[in-house]
Amino acid sequence: MPLSPCAAACCRRSGALGALLAAAFVTRAARASEFEVQADTALQGYEVASPWGNVILDRRRFMQTVGLGLYNLQGRYRPGEADYRVVMMMRLDSDFGVNARLPAAQAGGETTYATGAGRGARFIPGLASNPVDLMYGYVEGRNLAHGLFGFRLGRQYVTDMLGWWSFDGGLVRVTTPFFLQLEAYGGLEQRAGMPLSTARFERQGVWRGSHTSFGVGAELPSVTDYPSFLYTEPAPALGFAVESSGPNWIHSRFSYRRVYNTGTALTTQFAEQNGGGYHAISGTRLSQDRLGYGADVNKSDLGAARGGFSYDLYNQLVATAYGGVEVYLGKRATLGADLDYFVPTFDADSIWNWFTHGPITTASGRVALRFTKRLDLSASGGARLWTAEGDASPGAGGLSKFGAGECDQAKKQFAGMGLGFNCQIGQAYIDPSTLRTPFARDPANRATSTTIDALGNVAGRYRFGSGDVSLRGMFETGSRGSREGADLAGEAKLDGGRFSLGSRVSVYGWNDPTRPDRDAVSFGYVLAAGFRPAQLASFRIEWEHDTNRLVGQRYRVIGLVNLLVIK
Amino acid sequence: MSGRRLVSGWAALAVCVLAALVGLLAPASAQTPGSAPPPPPSAPMAGLAPMPGDAEVPLAWMPPGSAASPVPSEEIFPPQTMPLRFNHKKHVQGLQLTCKVCHAAAYSSEASSDRLLPRPGETCDNCHDVDHADLDHVKAGKEPSAQCGFCHLGAAAGEGGRVARVVIPPPNLRFTHAKHLARNIQCGQCHGQIAELELATRDQLPRMAGCFSCHAMTGPAQGGAKGACTTCHLAQPDGRLQTAFAAGKLVPPPWLRGAAHDPDWIERHKAVAADDSSFCGSCHTSKDCTDCHDGRVRPRKVHPNDWLSMHPQAARQDNPRCSSCHNEQAFCADCHRRMGVARDAPGGTRLSGRRFHPSPEQWTTAPRGPMHHAWEAMRNLNACVGCHSERDCATCHATKGVTGGGGVNPHPAGFRDKCGLALRRNPRPCLVCHASSDSFLRGCR
Repeated sequence: MPLSPCAAACCRRSGALGALLAAAFVTRAARASEFEVQADTALQGYEVASPWGNVILDRRRFMQTVGLGLYNLQGRYRPGEADYRVVMMMRLDSDFGVNARLPAAQAGGETTYATGAGRGARFIPGLASNPVDLMYGYVEGRNLAHGLFGFRLGRQYVTDMLGWWSFDGGLVRVTTPFFLQLEAYGGLEQRAGMPLSTARFERQGVWRGSHTSFGVGAELPSVTDYPSFLYTEPAPALGFAVESSGPNWIHSRFSYRRVYNTGTALTTQFAEQNGGGYHAISGTRLSQDRLGYGADVNKSDLGAARGGFSYDLYNQLVATAYGGVEVYLGKRATLGADLDYFVPTFDADSIWNWFTHGPITTASGRVALRFTKRLDLSASGGARLWTAEGDASPGAGGLSKFGAGECDQAKKQFAGMGLGFNCQIGQAYIDPSTLRTPFARDPANRATSTTIDALGNVAGRYRFGSGDVSLRGMFETGSRGSREGADLAGEAKLDGGRFSLGSRVSVYGWNDPTRPDRDAVSFGYVLAAGFRPAQLASFRIEWEHDTNRLVGQRYRVIGLVNLLVIK
Repeated sequence: MSGRRLVSGWAALAVCVLAALVGLLAPASAQTPGSAPPPPPSAPMAGLAPMPGDAEVPLAWMPPGSAASPVPSEEIFPPQTMPLRFNHKKHVQGLQLTCKVCHAAAYSSEASSDRLLPRPGETCDNCHDVDHADLDHVKAGKEPSAQCGFCHLGAAAGEGGRVARVVIPPPNLRFTHAKHLARNIQCGQCHGQIAELELATRDQLPRMAGCFSCHAMTGPAQGGAKGACTTCHLAQPDGRLQTAFAAGKLVPPPWLRGAAHDPDWIERHKAVAADDSSFCGSCHTSKDCTDCHDGRVRPRKVHPNDWLSMHPQAARQDNPRCSSCHNEQAFCADCHRRMGVARDAPGGTRLSGRRFHPSPEQWTTAPRGPMHHAWEAMRNLNACVGCHSERDCATCHATKGVTGGGGVNPHPAGFRDKCGLALRRNPRPCLVCHASSDSFLRGCR
C-alpha cells in the first residue's frame, strides 16, 4: 500500500530521527566505561483472611524490577574527577490471586465498578492490580568543575530530616571551598495516579489517585462517590539544603521543602440534603512546608553525639526530634542513650492535622558489645511515652477522669434544657443534636496525661566462615497491650557460595485490651534454599509456615531470581 | 586403702584426659594459619614478636589510630603468614640502619600491591654471610647468623634448601608510599614506632583513624590529603566502595559517624541516614533503600513471624513506625478496604454487624471512657489513619448543617491561635468540616 507524501515524509523524518538517536546511543555506549543491567523477580503466594474469616484473598504476587545503570559516560573513572551516569529502575507489581475466590460473575470486581454482585460491590478507588512504576531514573553529573558542582535530572530521591522523598525534576549542588555545600531542587512530587508513580512519597493523611473514567458512564463511579478520594494533580515542589562539607568528624544539614497541591478537591464529605451536592475547592494551596536540621559530631577515641529536628511550618509545631550520645569503650563496647520525639503530621489537604493528638516520645539506653570479629551483641531498653488529653485510667467511683469533665458539662447542658441526665461511662449515649450548643469538651478536662510502655530489644550475631547465625528479640508492654518475641535465624553457604541454606524459627505473642479476641501466641519457621550458578545470577526459594489460634496455619512461598550483568 | 586407690585412679584418668587434650590442642595450634612455629632451640629468642616475650606494645608505639582500632581491618589488610624472626630495634637502634636501607622500594612505590619487604640478596646478604642470589639454591655461611633457621622459622627451616613461604596478600587499598614520603611523611607517622619493636606484624599496619589525622577533609575544602572515601578505598564502576572481600564484608568501623553496623543497625540507621545520606551512598545504592522502604517482599527482619496477624498491635505501639515506609491512606487502607477492615470498605467485603473496635457504647458515644476512640486517636493518630478515610471522621466531627456532621469538636487546645494561618495557606481541611459561612470559620479569618 503506497504511503501518502505526508506519511512518507513523516517516515523519513522518523527514520532519520531514529538513526540519529541510535547513533547517539551507540556513540554514548561506546564511550561509557561500564553498564549494569539488573533484574529481580519475586513470586509470592499466601493467603490473607479478614478478622472475621468471611473474606479470604489468595495472593499470588509477581514482582519484577529492571534496573539499568550507565556509569562513567565521560570515560575512565578517576576518584574525585567529574563523572556522569544514567540510572533507572522500573517495577511491575502484580497480584493475580485477589479475585480467585470470587464467583465468576464477580471476578474482576476489584477493579471494575460494575459487577455481577451489584454496582461497586468490590470497587476500591486507586487500587490497581498491575501497577507499573518508575522507581527512579535520572542523569547525574558529579564532581564537575573540580568538585564544585553536581546535578541530577529526572526522578530521584532526597533523604534527610524531612524523610525519604521522591520528585521529578532537577537538583543542583554547589560544594564550596568554605566548608559548605548548597543544594537546590525543584520539580513535581511523585504522587499516586500520575504516570508510573506510587503514593509512597506523598505526605500522610491523603488518599489520592487517578479518577480516569469516573463519571463517564452510568456503570462507572460518580466523581462524588468517594469524596475522600482526592484527584491527582501535579504537585509543584521546591527545596534547598545547606550542608557542611569538608571535615569528616562533624556533619550537619539544614533542609527546607515546600510542596503545593493544585487542581480541584472535594471538601464536604456528604451531599447537601437540599440537593445542593458536594462542595469543592480549586486552586493552588499548600501541601507541606517544612524545615529540618540534623547534625552529628564524632571523636574516634571518645564517642559521638547527634541530634536533629523537623519543624512543620503549616502545623506550627516541632514534628520530629531526636538526640543521642555514644561513648566508645575501646573497640569492644559502645554505650549510648537516645531520645526520639514524634508527632504525626499530615498533608495540608488532610483534616487530621487539626485533630487533637499527642507526641510519642521514646527514651532508651543501649549497649553494643563486639566480643570478637565474629560475635557481637546489641541490647537496648527504655520507655515510650504516650500523651493524650485527659486520663483514661479509672478514677473515683469507676468514672474515668478522661470523660468525667464531659459528664459534668453534659449534666449542665441537660439541666439547662430542664432535663435530667445520669452520666454513666459506657452506658449513656449523648446525641450531640440534642444539646443546645455544639458538643465540646470542658477546657478544664484538657490537662494531658502520659502513659508509658516499657520496651527492649536484643540482637546478636555470630558469623562463621560460610554463614551466620543471628538472634533478634523484642518486647513492648504497657497499659494498652504488649508484644514480645524472638527470631533465631541462620544462613550457610555451601560449595563456595554456589548453594545456600537458610532457616528461621520465630515465636511472638501479643495482646490488645481493645481487641482481646485477637490475642495470640504465634510460632513460625522458614526454610530456604538458594542456588547461585554464576556470580551474576542467583535463585532462591523460601517456605514459611506460621501457626497460631487466629489463622490456624498460614503458609507462604516465595521464589526469588536475581540477575546482574555488568560490563 | 581402697579409697586411696580410687583417688589415684581418678587422678591418673585426669592426667590422661589432660594429656590427651594437650595432645589434641598442640597440633591444632601449630596448624593455625598465620602462626609461626617456634625457632630451633639454638636460635636467639628475640625478634619473634613485636615486644620481648610477646608483651603488649605500648599505645604510644602503635600506629596512630590504634586507640580506636586496636587491630587493622582484615578486609583491608588480609591475614598474613610471616614465618620470620626479625629484630627491628636491633637493626635500627643498634646497627643505626635507616628504614630505607632495607625498604628502599617503598620510596618509589606507587601501588599498595608493590612488594616492599627487603630482597634478601640485596639487603640481608650485605651483613649476613648468606648468598640469596639464587633463591632456589641459597647458600648459607658458617656463622650462626648465616643459618637459615636464624631468620626463617619452622621445623627444619632450610633443610633441603626450603623455607616456609612468606605470604602477604596485597592490601585492598589505593596507596602510594612515594607520594607520602615525598611530602616528608615518615614511616612512623603511619606505622608507629617500629624502631622500638622487634618483629613488625600486621599490627603495625596503618589504621583508618590514623589516616584521618591528615585525610580529614572532603570536597573542594580538602588540601593535598584528600578525604574522600575513594581516595584510599577501592571503588566499583559506579563510584561506590568495593565492600565484598575474601576476608569479609567491609563495614564502617564503630567510631565512624556512629555508623557501626551492629546487629541492631536496622533500628538505628535512620538518624545517620537522615543527617547525611550521601555517607550511606558511599557503599549503598538506592536499591538497598528501596528493598525495605519501598519494597514488595516483606522483610522479615522488620516484620517477623505472622506479621499479618500481629501488625495491628505493632501499629498501635508505633513499633516500627508504619509511616516510615508506607503511605497509610494508600498502602494500608487499600488493603484494609479490600479485606473489609475499613468503615468505607465495599459492601461485598464487610459483614454487617461485625466490628473491629469495641462496642459503640464504649468506643463511639459520649461521654468518653477508657476505651473511647478519642483516647486512642489522641494517643496515636496514625493508627486511625491506616484504616479510616476523612469521611469516617467527618460523620461526627464536621459541624452540623451543610457539611453533614455531628458537631463534635476535635480540635486541640490552642487551636484558635493557629487556625488563621492554616486557613490562609490551605482552606481545604477547614471546608471539609465547616461551611464557608460557618461562624467558627469566621473566627479564624
